[in-house]
Parts: sequence; C-alpha cells; structure tokens
Amino acid sequence: MSTVISADDVGIKFYRSRRRQVQLREFLATGRSGASRDSFWALRHISFDIQAGEAVGIVGSNGTGKSTLLKIIAGVLLPDEGAVTVNGGVAPLIELTGGFQGELTARENITLTAGLHGLTAEQIEERFEDIVDFAGPQVRDALDMPFRHFSSGMKVRLGFGVITSLDEPIILTDEVLAVGDKAFREKCYRRMEDLLAQGRTLFLVSHSERDLLRFGERGLYLRDGALVGDGPMAEVIGQYNSDIEAAT
Amino acid sequence: MVRRIAALIDKRGVLWRLVQRDLRIRYVGSWLGYLWTVLDPLLMAMVYFVVFGYILNVHRSGDQPYLLYLLSGLLPWQWFNATVLDTSTALTTEAKLVRSTNLPREIWVVRVVLSKGAEYVFSLPILIGFAVVYAVKGQAHLDWELVYWPLGLVLEALLLVGIGLILAPVTVLVRDAQRLVRIFLRFFFYFTPVLWALRIVPGALGKALEFNPLVGVFELYRAGLFKRSVYWPSVLISVVDIVILLALGTWVFTRLERPVLKEI
Repeated sequence: MSTVISADDVGIKFYRSRRRQVQLREFLATGRSGASRDSFWALRHISFDIQAGEAVGIVGSNGTGKSTLLKIIAGVLLPDEGAVTVNGGVAPLIELTGGFQGELTARENITLTAGLHGLTAEQIEERFEDIVDFAGPQVRDALDMPFRHFSSGMKVRLGFGVITSLDEPIILTDEVLAVGDKAFREKCYRRMEDLLAQGRTLFLVSHSERDLLRFGERGLYLRDGALVGDGPMAEVIGQYNSDIEAAT
Repeated sequence: MVRRIAALIDKRGVLWRLVQRDLRIRYVGSWLGYLWTVLDPLLMAMVYFVVFGYILNVHRSGDQPYLLYLLSGLLPWQWFNATVLDTSTALTTEAKLVRSTNLPREIWVVRVVLSKGAEYVFSLPILIGFAVVYAVKGQAHLDWELVYWPLGLVLEALLLVGIGLILAPVTVLVRDAQRLVRIFLRFFFYFTPVLWALRIVPGALGKALEFNPLVGVFELYRAGLFKRSVYWPSVLISVVDIVILLALGTWVFTRLERPVLKEI
C-alpha cells in the first residue's frame, strides 16, 4: 500500500479584510504572512496520510476548513505552513462545476475542461458520449446551449461526468452530491463504486451523513481548522454528532 | 526555478491546446479576424507615414524606406502591446480556471505570449510584401542579416514572459495596476524606436533610451531590411535587461503566488 496523499503540519491563514495593498507590501518584503489581528488560521497543524484506494470523507460543520483542505490537496491553494505531498494526478470537482465557463456551451466546456485536465483530443472524443450519457438526457438535449442556462443539477451532473472520466488516480469531490436528486445520487454512487473498485483514491467532502457512511471508510473530522478526529467513518461521525449535541 | 520550468514543460500539451484554442477563436469563422491583425498595423503605419514622413517631413528619423521602417517596428510593437495588456490581466480573466485546475500558474502568462506571438508571425506577410516591393523597386537593401530575425523573436518572447510574470500577480493584488499598465504602454510607444531610430535622439535622453530592451530587439528585426548592420551593444543591453526581468518576474511570481491564489 503506498501513500498517495501526505499532509504534514499543514496550515493556511486568510485575511479577514480586503487589505490587498498591505498584503502586497508584506509579501514582497517578508515572503511570509506575519501574524496580524486581521487574519485567522483556516487550518493549522493538519497531518495525515492517505493510502492508495482509500475512501476518505471529511466531516465538520460549515466553515471549519473542509473545502479549504480539499483545495490544498488539489493544489489550487498553497499552504502557509507545512506541506502536502500528492503522489499521482488529481481529478478535482471543486466548486460544483470544476471551472466550467458560463458563456461557452456544454460541448465546448467538456472539451475545454477535459483538455485542461490533460486529456488529448482523441481521448476526449472517445469519452464524450459516456460523459453525456452520465449527465443525462436533459444535458444531451442542451449540449449546444450556453452553460449558464443549465440548472444546478445539470451542471453538477456534467461536472461529475467529466471529472470522473479523467484517468487520474485520486478523485476529490466537494459537496457535489448535495445538489442532485435521488436518481443522480444513485448514479454517482455507482460510478464512485466503480472507481474505487479500480483502485482509485477518493476524498469526499459532504454534510450528508448517509453519503459519508456509504462511501467513506475513513473519516477526518475538522473542527475550527484543527484535525480532531481520524478513524473509521462511523466513529468519527459519532464524535461529530456528540459535539453538536454538546454545543446545543 | 528549474522545477517550475520542468512542471511547465510537462504541461506543454495543455499549453499548446490553449494557444490553438485562442487562435481558432481569433481567426476561424471570420476572415475579418486575419484581416484585423494585418489591417491595424498597416493603417497605423500609413498614418504615421503621412504625418511624420510627409506632413512633418522627418522621415529621415528612421532608416529608408521609412514606411518599411515603420512597419518593421509596428508589427512587433503590436505583439508587445497586446501581450503586456493581456498578461497583466491573465490571472484575473481566467480566475475560474486558475481556481479549479492545478496547472502551473505560469501557463496563463506563457499562453498569452505564444498566442499573440503567433498572431505577430501571421501578420508578417504584409511586411514581406512591402519589403519585396521596395526591393524590386531598388529602394530597399535586403541582406543576409535577415537571419537574425528569429533571434529577435526569441528575445522578445522572453522579454514578454518576464514582464508578464511580474504584472500578472501584481494586478490581482493591486487592482489599479491594470490602469497604470495601460497608461504606461501609451507613452512607452513613443519611447521605443518605432517612429524613430536611436541614433537621432540627442543627449541624455538618447543615453537613457539605450536601456529600453526593445531597442536591441528591433535592431535584430530590422538588420536584414536595411543597409545598417546590427548594433551589437544594443542587443547586449537587451539581453541583460531581459535576464533581469526574467529573474525578477520569477521571483515576484513565486513570492506572490500564495496570496494570489487566496485572492482569486
């Protein structure tokens, strides 16, 4: 079993206010964000190792850094402290639509996104039908319509279809299942099961206990930017629930 | 830095496809697209020729034939101008893609340099046309120094990458920077030897303008078209300028990448 994702004392801080000018001067002068009252640590001292083929779910309330952690693993955010090592390519479904552009049609978006994630023109052609099939008949009918006219369900179906058609060994998904209806969720589950059977690694952020239990074998519990739980999913969820009850 | 270049080379397939896409959007489906690339500098060259060459009668400020001198400077200037404008906004216009794909961020700058560079190359037939016409009429003196032209191309590309690497992250963090870039380009045009040749600029100004990296680059472009030979000290200054800008660009880009990603 090889380690595919390794987080080592990862931390990232964000500024509360939009003081860009200060950011610029500070960064050029020091190269490091100094501690300041205007910033907060979204994540701090996060360490964990993920093996190939694991299905991991991140658990936590809103605003505890789940999406931020996902973005750091995907490489679209860089940590201020520590490091994340990822062995292998990542297929990220972040922000629901993975970078689809509103003005382009669905067809153009598929080729663009698949191309940006590294698929060649031939590969895209091969998988095109599959992607559209997964997304459903509604999307097939609307292939040449500008993407911004799609419903959020259609957008997610298409996004999920494209990202899961990539060859990358690590799949990251961020709250996508929340938007789909039951039929869509079933489709997604089946696809995720297929991918896991192929030995891919899955990293999932979700609020739905049901989704987390179905998919995540292992849970990472984030609370206020700290990793407070790391173990079998059922246990971690139990921990999360008792924390909520204790708070209310 | 070597690691970053290696990462970029690794993704060259994606870069190539992005450039192809840009060119397709620019040229396909509208012959007007190609025409524009050629028409803009050609019309401007003619206007400058009439104003400076005829009305003000200062066509001796550049090499002869003056129209050829103008065109040979306007085409690469167009590449410079369009690229500096677009690279300075490269990360903000593609913010969505920058946020959701893990591509080496330099790709967004290099892509603009290459796309606009391709447009520059496609606009060359007009220059070649005029060069041939003048050569046939015996008014132009084409020589073997044309072989230096590709070197000019490479230097200009590197110059643009260096500038782009500085501007792209800065304009994400400092919004007003975009406006400043536009204003700067407008007056930089007049301090670049498009309309005039460096040798006629008097005194301290002439000394200062020697450090404009485009001076050396344009020497290489124009060497084969005119009697004068390449003035190598200018090229040397350009190379030094470009190395400094590339180093500065890499440093700024790497330093600012973290806050840029948070801001985007």
